[in-house]
Amino acid sequence: MTSDLDYLGLSEAAALIRAKKLSPVEYVTALLARIERYDGKYNAFIALTPERALNAARAAEAEITAGRWRGPLHGIPYALKDIIDVEGLVTTAHSKILMGNIAHRHAIVTQRLEAAGGVLLGKLSTHEFAIGGPSFDLPWPPARNPWSRDHFCGGSSSGSGAGLAAGFFPAALGTDTGGSIRNPASMCGITGMKPTYGRVSRRGVVPLAFSLDHIGPMTRTVRDNALMLQVIADHDPGDPGSVDEPVPGYSAMLGEAVRGLRIGVVRHFYTRDVAGDPEQVEALDAAVKLLAEAGAEIKEINLPPLQDFSACGQIILAAEAYAVHEQWLKERPGDYGSRARERLLAGAALRAVDYLRAVRWRLQLRDRVAEAFAGIDTAITASSMDPACRIDDDEALATNYSRQARMPFNVTGQPALVIPAGFSKSGLPLSLQLVGHPFDEAMLYRVAQFYEDATGWTRRHPVELAD
Amino acid sequence: MIEELRDKARALGLDRLTDEHLAQFERATNGMARHLQRLPSGMQPAQEPAHVYRAKGNAP
Repeated sequence: MTSDLDYLGLSEAAALIRAKKLSPVEYVTALLARIERYDGKYNAFIALTPERALNAARAAEAEITAGRWRGPLHGIPYALKDIIDVEGLVTTAHSKILMGNIAHRHAIVTQRLEAAGGVLLGKLSTHEFAIGGPSFDLPWPPARNPWSRDHFCGGSSSGSGAGLAAGFFPAALGTDTGGSIRNPASMCGITGMKPTYGRVSRRGVVPLAFSLDHIGPMTRTVRDNALMLQVIADHDPGDPGSVDEPVPGYSAMLGEAVRGLRIGVVRHFYTRDVAGDPEQVEALDAAVKLLAEAGAEIKEINLPPLQDFSACGQIILAAEAYAVHEQWLKERPGDYGSRARERLLAGAALRAVDYLRAVRWRLQLRDRVAEAFAGIDTAITASSMDPACRIDDDEALATNYSRQARMPFNVTGQPALVIPAGFSKSGLPLSLQLVGHPFDEAMLYRVAQFYEDATGWTRRHPVELAD
Repeated sequence: MIEELRDKARALGLDRLTDEHLAQFERATNGMARHLQRLPSGMQPAQEPAHVYRAKGNAP
């Protein structure tokens, strides 16, 4: 059962809704029916809120009919990773620890999406507390990959990635502390932006590691992603990490050519530091070739070894996450799933001096990267080194966190966008990552849109879902 | 061995860990030790960490 509405993009739907050619109520009803039919096998949702969604869709329709269109998100269905607060709904973080944890106010990002007229469909699966997964020992099962149900769909924003690939909604939010937006984007063949640190408010989102946490949009296409970021990006004086920087028009450069742009290639991440899967490397080489043929100036750049970023980021993450979880780990260690407990215990014995050495090192790494970026407009590199592994392959899952090039940009705080870059011979998505100067998300969207238009990878969807 | 681990965990206030949890604690600590080995030495004494205290914050 596939209808024309299942894989409708946010921007296409917005145009139809604005022109009154698509009813938000019909749209939401169609997606709810698809979710009801298929999500039992894919577990993208922890909690579906159909009544609330239909009420919001009716309200949007009434406003639009009365001539009060609020903007591109008005009447558009979306869903939130279940570490993001929605007033009156439970925020579980996919954990027994937070069962019954009703949010008393919206997160800032929820406020902004609601004010834009978005229609919340429900709360999405995550790895437990955005760190422990995929896990079969939690109150809810892990999300599955719509391209192959037996395969990992990435994480921690697993329900966001799975639901987009399954055609359950056109837009979602995820969070990214060591790659958790970009990993499911890679595994599920969708588009995920980790914006610059401080660009999107973290207030009302369950923290994992304060200085590495980012909230960002996940969509199927680049244009849709830019529209979502436009809605959620702003300065929040209530978030100590938020930066008071003007918000540009993220769609302004979409459709522009890449001729003359200086694009750095961080090839050593996926050829020397870690040997990427040949199909993934081939996809990256093909993308670089395509950009070069379109007139971009390609230049290989060298950053510190991937393992340095990984070590620095993991030490900071472990220390900050343990500070969040210490009390629960002391009092209720058995209420965590096995994977989250093990990953969180990594911070228990860290010394203050080690954490401080890591955050001092972080500045050195940031400066080395800034130096390498001085002569380029954007950089291209790998996100994941491999296509998705089987969800029951513990050995491959264990390496998932080391065979990736996402942590460097949590450490530096630069914006990083992952988009589909083809498919493996077995039909699983491949991906690439674009990295920009701080607060220059618009440049990433420009290059990504060019690539998307040239390749058409985002027009492919899983052929058939299991029901 | 397990008693050593239990003592180490207890010293950190983690006195409700089961044997299975202690094994996880050991694996996690060993994994972190590999990351710690990469920390650079010889930083200048005045080199500041990435986030520093501000006397006037922007919290509400």
